[in-house]
Amino acid sequence: MKCTRCRKTAHVSLPSHHSGFCADCYPLFFTKQVETAIRREKMFTREDRILVALSGGKDSLALMLELKLQGYNVTGLHIDLGIPNSSDKARKKVEDFCALHALPLRVFEMAAWGLPIPDVKQYVKRPVCAVCGRLKRHHFNRIAVEEGFDVLATGHNLDDEVARLFANTLRWDTAYLSDQGPVLPASDGFVRKVKPLFRLSEFETANYAFLKGIEIHSDPCPYSGGASFTAHKELWGELEHRSPGQKLQFYQSFLKQGKPAFARLEKETGVKLAPCTECGSPTSAEVCAVCRIKAAVRESKAQAE
Amino acid sequence: MIIVNLEPDGKRIELNDTRSVLAVLNKLRLRPTMALVARRGELLTSDRKLVHGDELLVRKVTSAG
Repeated sequence: MKCTRCRKTAHVSLPSHHSGFCADCYPLFFTKQVETAIRREKMFTREDRILVALSGGKDSLALMLELKLQGYNVTGLHIDLGIPNSSDKARKKVEDFCALHALPLRVFEMAAWGLPIPDVKQYVKRPVCAVCGRLKRHHFNRIAVEEGFDVLATGHNLDDEVARLFANTLRWDTAYLSDQGPVLPASDGFVRKVKPLFRLSEFETANYAFLKGIEIHSDPCPYSGGASFTAHKELWGELEHRSPGQKLQFYQSFLKQGKPAFARLEKETGVKLAPCTECGSPTSAEVCAVCRIKAAVRESKAQAE
Repeated sequence: MIIVNLEPDGKRIELNDTRSVLAVLNKLRLRPTMALVARRGELLTSDRKLVHGDELLVRKVTSAG
């Protein structure tokens, strides 16, 4: 296969774009997709201070590097989950990456905050992935707001977005379907959230990370076994193989035709938000879910000891 | 014989009678956009031919949490 751009031997084949690229031209394709996402969705400008959530995986590190190369004002935020034999490795990848590229980094430690994820797994009787995700989102938003960032950027890619949309559609979850998208505007104590990689698949971000020499943390989380999210991605991978381009079409058609209807419905029937009486974060209850989780773990731990 | 270093599984696999990247992916039950394939640090598209003794990195791309 030849590079669509320069006709040299291609190193990356992209069936959904009917294209292939050599190692020199592929990053140009990647940059164009990110630029298009930022421009069309009006995500941010070069004057904005952008906080980038860094897990240590290919997507978040690729996003951070690409935004820096495009001249944006970026700071990384890594949450150390406190999971033995896992979190320390992820943290080291992030710290080494930021040091190598002279990128500013903040690290927030769940253990120092009093709630390492192993405690959540042991004492909370709910799927640990869901609770962990909620805690991470809480701290990403809280730190972005407290430290005056204009926008929070995450490395969610097209596969993440399609898997999430698919899961929300299987449940016809109106609340989630009303606000899923590459941009979530700031409101009610929430900072603006953006996903500049939403036009790129996992395969596409993985190729970019490889070609840019990014050392990634690729070990799966020891607590994520059997997550439905992974199964949904596999299903969509098969569908995409049979009909290249289906993922982007499904997602973009939802944004254009489905989301506005769900947003209208949610405006009529959705719940109002108010500051949590304990931590001040926006919540639909008196005390937010994060403070309730923290209290529940504290009580269960005390009873066990 | 082709040697495959499979990531993130950390497995080393030997494959016989395998002469293209696509054949390697088929034997591993992977679709071409589900894994990167590299030889000596160079990415390979699935139509590339392989020769006896080639050692490949096959890195699955799906995040598993």
